[in-house]
Amino acid sequence: MKNTTNLWRAGLLAALTGLLLVSAGCAKKAVQAPPVTENVPPQATPTPKPTPDKDNVPPTPVEPKSHALTASDLQPVFFDVDSYSLRDDARSTLDANARLMRDNATAKIVLEGHCDERGTVEYNQALGERRADAVRDYLVQAGIATGRINVISYGSERPFDPGHDEAAWAKNRRAHFAFQ
Amino acid sequence: MMMTSRWVTPLFLIVLAAVFTPGAGHADDVSIDVTKGKFVRIRVHCEALASPGRRSAEVSSVDADELLAGDLDRSAVFTVSRSWVAGEQPFDVQANIGGKWSVSGGQVKLTGQVLDVPARRPILVRDYSGPVQSWRSLVHRFADDVVMQFTGELGVSDTHIAYVTRDGRNKELSVMDADGAGATTLTHDKSIVQSPAWSPEGSLLLFTSYKNGTGPQVFVVPAKGGRSFLVSGRKGNNTSAAYSPDGRDIACTLSLDGNPEIYLLDARGGTPRRLTNNRAIDTSPTWSPTGREIAFTSDRSGAPQVYVMDRDGGNVRRLTFDVNYTDSPAWSPHGDQLAFVSRTTAGFDIYVCRADGTGARLVVTGGSNENPRWSPDGRHMVFASTRAGPRGLFVSDLDDRPARRIDMGNQEVMSPAWSPRPAGPKTNP
Repeated sequence: MKNTTNLWRAGLLAALTGLLLVSAGCAKKAVQAPPVTENVPPQATPTPKPTPDKDNVPPTPVEPKSHALTASDLQPVFFDVDSYSLRDDARSTLDANARLMRDNATAKIVLEGHCDERGTVEYNQALGERRADAVRDYLVQAGIATGRINVISYGSERPFDPGHDEAAWAKNRRAHFAFQ
Repeated sequence: MMMTSRWVTPLFLIVLAAVFTPGAGHADDVSIDVTKGKFVRIRVHCEALASPGRRSAEVSSVDADELLAGDLDRSAVFTVSRSWVAGEQPFDVQANIGGKWSVSGGQVKLTGQVLDVPARRPILVRDYSGPVQSWRSLVHRFADDVVMQFTGELGVSDTHIAYVTRDGRNKELSVMDADGAGATTLTHDKSIVQSPAWSPEGSLLLFTSYKNGTGPQVFVVPAKGGRSFLVSGRKGNNTSAAYSPDGRDIACTLSLDGNPEIYLLDARGGTPRRLTNNRAIDTSPTWSPTGREIAFTSDRSGAPQVYVMDRDGGNVRRLTFDVNYTDSPAWSPHGDQLAFVSRTTAGFDIYVCRADGTGARLVVTGGSNENPRWSPDGRHMVFASTRAGPRGLFVSDLDDRPARRIDMGNQEVMSPAWSPRPAGPKTNP
């Protein structure tokens, strides 16, 4: 019984800490980015890492393209383990993607939600969808019409990196942009 | 829990005291007997089936002998010795099992016989007949009747397992006999198949597929093969489908209202009824055998955990607080237990607890062990595991023997689902 109570206390503490972190993120970002966190419950576990490896984050395009938008112009965004909260680096990537989509108002996209291989097939299905949904909601708040965005979850079925280590998993927890 | 520990502690102390008291040399034996008592198997001796007349080149009685002995061993009810194997002498057996086997005109006939020991009084004599190509099923039915004779419940040799096979990037749906024979692929869509689930009478299989290119949708296909039909292709995810025990409803995960929730669909169509309602992930429904409750996975408290709700979505409660990160619940066919997985650094372990969430115990570990699904008698559990290399299917008898691998070559296979017993009369009168 004692142990259970302590576990509860620890859980509560973790949840509160998560909540604080999330709201701090909101306050900081409130000016330039719409707060999408309202659709995302606070994650009690695990503790989110602030930024991933530099290697895993592709550079955001610097100059606006004059030619028609291609899928490779829209950079993927990455997620922490078991999380569908948008990280700060994901928000800046999405701001750039949203600009490109506004400049190419006819382009319709498919947002693919992906997970790493850990987790059950069924749970990853749902997690992948929540990730793609979080990205869609952010883009919609940034002024992209909902009708231009379709969402498909692939769970862990289509890894970007077939490896079985944290480096591969970090690349696989992503929302990928494709065209309809 | 408290009740158990109150009782266990003094007993444990008594045993400890006995072990560490000089002169109490037999205390060990006593405690070992108590532990082993749960897993006692009945000793039976298999005698070669008598095969009068000419032997069939197609199916000899020797094949039937081995299959029958294998079925009885796999039942987890019996320890088997075989008359035709040197060195397997009958020891302390309760029954001799044998009979007659004949093949003629494309028909096979088995007269199965169980003799009491030592009186050699027949306690079960039954005829089974059918086309030669169904010979394995005839042997399975006799083995299942022998289990019935000794336990009061039919065995599960004459059942099937559905599963998913990986072929490069694609996954297809397959089905085989419970012993691994007769594997057949049911889909050839070169797409992704997931989460097969049987209809309660065993004629249909629900599954998730991406074959229409618009994301995961739920389909149904005859278990003996044939065309598949769309069950739910609504906007967003359509996954994790499970027939209710009466076959009238399908519980599944849909995200048509914005995020993954559990819904009930009428198996014949109609508007989905939403059962869960929150911003978290809700998925992987499994029915209690009464159809009154549904267990499912949700991350509403942070990491995924198994919850139970009434079939109308009310009375939601978390199943267990003893185990972290639980998922993939499977309600036992007798309703008294639930199996689920818990995440480890290596993947998953499999646990079983009582239906009220108490008494959670680790039953399968080593490698990653996923997707536990009960046999229809609740005596076995099939699961996918990486313990021996590429993901394969294993069966645990939930006793002290190691899980056995179902030999399927080097294929990578996963997501098993054990069929119910076949419908209709089990045996010839």
